[in-house]
Amino acid sequence: MRVELDEATRRRVEGIRMLGRAQVRPLGLEADRLGRPIPPDHEFFELLLKIGQGRTRWSGEQDPAAEPAARDESDRPELKATIGTSRALLAVAEELSYWDRGVAVSLPGPGLGEPPIIGMGTPDQKERFLRPFIDPGKPRWGSFAMTEPGAGSDVAAIRTVCRKDGDHWVLNGAKSFAANASRADWILVWATIDRNLGREGHRAFVIEQGTPGLGDFHVEKKMGLKAYESTSFTMRDCRVPADSLLGSDEHYARKAGFKGAMKSFNSTRPLVAAMAVGMGRAAFDEALAFAKEQDLLGDVRVRDRLERIRRRLRVARLLCWRAAWLADHSRPNIVEASMSKAVAPAVALEAASLGMELLGEVGARGEHLIEKLFRDVKAMDIVEGTGQIQRIVMARQLVQLPR
Amino acid sequence: MIDFEIGDELELVRATAREFADDHLRPTLRQHESTRALSDATRAAFRDIGFATLEWPESLGGSGLGGLARFIVLEELAAADPGATLALDPLGPALYALVECGGEAALERFGTPLADGETARSVLVWCGEGCRAKLEFGDDAVSGAIPWLPADAAAQLVLLDADGAHVVSEGFTLEPARGAGLRAAGAASVTLDRAPIAASYPGGEAAARAAARGRLYTAAMLVGIARESADYSRAYALDRVTFGKPIAHHQALAFLIADMATATDSARLAGWDAAWRLDSGHGAEEACATAFIEAAEQAMYVTPNGVQILGGHGFMQDHPVEKMMREARALSLLFGGVDAARNTAISELIESDGPVQLTWEAPDAGRTG
Ligand SMILES: Cc1cc2nc3c(=O)[nH]c(=O)nc-3n(C[C@H](O)[C@H](O)[C@H](O)COP(=O)(O)OP(=O)(O)OC[C@H]3O[C@@H](n4cnc5c(N)ncnc54)[C@H](O)[C@@H]3O)c2cc1C
Repeated sequence: MRVELDEATRRRVEGIRMLGRAQVRPLGLEADRLGRPIPPDHEFFELLLKIGQGRTRWSGEQDPAAEPAARDESDRPELKATIGTSRALLAVAEELSYWDRGVAVSLPGPGLGEPPIIGMGTPDQKERFLRPFIDPGKPRWGSFAMTEPGAGSDVAAIRTVCRKDGDHWVLNGAKSFAANASRADWILVWATIDRNLGREGHRAFVIEQGTPGLGDFHVEKKMGLKAYESTSFTMRDCRVPADSLLGSDEHYARKAGFKGAMKSFNSTRPLVAAMAVGMGRAAFDEALAFAKEQDLLGDVRVRDRLERIRRRLRVARLLCWRAAWLADHSRPNIVEASMSKAVAPAVALEAASLGMELLGEVGARGEHLIEKLFRDVKAMDIVEGTGQIQRIVMARQLVQLPR
Repeated sequence: MIDFEIGDELELVRATAREFADDHLRPTLRQHESTRALSDATRAAFRDIGFATLEWPESLGGSGLGGLARFIVLEELAAADPGATLALDPLGPALYALVECGGEAALERFGTPLADGETARSVLVWCGEGCRAKLEFGDDAVSGAIPWLPADAAAQLVLLDADGAHVVSEGFTLEPARGAGLRAAGAASVTLDRAPIAASYPGGEAAARAAARGRLYTAAMLVGIARESADYSRAYALDRVTFGKPIAHHQALAFLIADMATATDSARLAGWDAAWRLDSGHGAEEACATAFIEAAEQAMYVTPNGVQILGGHGFMQDHPVEKMMREARALSLLFGGVDAARNTAISELIESDGPVQLTWEAPDAGRTG
């Protein structure tokens, strides 16, 4: 039992903190004020590349045994040992989101499309889609598009169809809210071979930007998280080469398609929860500082509520870390991952909301960081499975809730 | 690096505690409650395992284990029978007042004679913030009244407040009370009439540590109670059918059951975090107070819902869930209850200039400025 980061992770977190204070937060505030995403040619993205960000986690090795799997090397002194663990990723994500979660998602890199490509992709697909991210000469993005206008939580109900036509696939449909889609080199799109098949009909494609038929990009106007683009788009008779189908046919014959998507959610849920913890922490720090400046801490009501938020944030963080720790040891963590995701966003919202109450009319002016966090954080209970969906996932495990 | 592995030794401790609870506590929990007594065999088994002296230093015949070990044992025992858990432990949280404020000498003097569990217990009396006891301290005696202790008899009272601990071994009488919960341990109000103070151990910091460990002790029991209530009602919900399906499959209850599991895990993690801080020599007063509040709040969320899930049957004493609800309520009144703990938990935050300490933070973590 240990509730401490190792030296290597601690240093990384400190690095993020410096970057966060100097760059990430100001950029997030600016994007919020301007009401538009950070443009892809912003010098900040270039800077990130220079300091080694914006890259893929894929090592470039085709031999899976050579993949740097998550390891726990807490007994080993080598500094690099824990870098790739889920726990380390969590700590970094939390800190980055502390400074600005919108900017965090805007960062170049393969994004949410990366885990399915690493997990399901053929050697050739990894070469094509991830190799450019190993040492990118310019900022590059990948995008992940599952959600549709008519299907969000009910993933099985997606209606984007794919049809084999000779050595091509033809896609038709519409996708919603995909992060970084219009600037991405490729978009990982989920489609179905037959709408009546449900999950078994699902297929994943990696569609390259510029493919004819891929278009109508619409960058949504959002309540918060304005620093990155959430983009809706359509595919109209969009023809892609047969080898754009992620994985191989036998992969889907084994019904691994949907599972592939869902498995990646198991690892991203604690990550998103950790981001919420970071945002909640930011709101709490600001709220506490304001309360001190304004001499509000003599009020027992204020104190009690601060106590509650700090406590709930701590518990949320522990839930995240436990889920990640289980993942690092390849133990089942479905329930634990969903617990973290069910708890953290609500706590973070409560933190921001309390912050607004302490600010009073100062918050109502709409210019305070806490006010921005209050808007930003609501998304965390929606993305990567809503709070309700997390409870369904847990209940399936706990009481075999039928589908 | 962050690690939730408790290790082989504590896994064994946990398995032993679970087995003891299954063999000796669960089958007879209503009997313990109504007779306010435990069998000699149960007491002997408890003593032989060495649970009583788990945290005692090895020099005094203990196992020298830490707060996490105690937490794990208490969760297991209290899951079965919280009242019996208190009744079995000869010192309970009084241990912390003795060792923190008076050191090993105090433990040897007042604790050792009780270690075999044959005589009455040493009972901790919280006299600090939030207590409802009215006590007046003279130079060498104390008088007053304590409205409730979970005990029918006491070999000694260890009075703990913010400034230190006092031990009294005579000059007090216990008047049996019905007790809202924890009846297996007894229930009494206490009158002290110029009770001579056998020993005084002043020291604010030591007293704060003692209170912290006591709160963690209570938190561990609350986690056990919440877990049992959640597990019991979950099993029931899979069995009970209404409107053509198990009630667990009505989404309102499915979500509630998921939230109750989350609540229990939340309280346990807060407790383990505090126990780790304690055992690794970090300051733990805030963390222990926080763990106590979390456990109390979550237990008071889980246990009434445990009754709710059983409906009318939950209200009847054929099932243990009503008992769990009462015991959670009574237990979380100890140490001045959650409000006193809140003050402890927040005071550090008010005084410090740094960022919020959630769990571990870098020394220079901080906000924009
Ligand atoms: C900022 C932001 C960024 C996003 N980025 C991406 C992205 O990059 N890629 C992508 O693919 N998607 C993205 N999304 C979409 C997101 O994943 C979906 O919005 C989310 O899954 C919810 O789907 P929905 O909006 O269709 O809501 P719905 O599924 O219509 O849900 C509406 C409400 O009903 C509840 N509900 C649904 N089903 C049940 C049920 N069975 N029981 C009880 N309650 C239920 C939900 O919890 C919710 O409260 C993003 C969304 C946002 C807000």
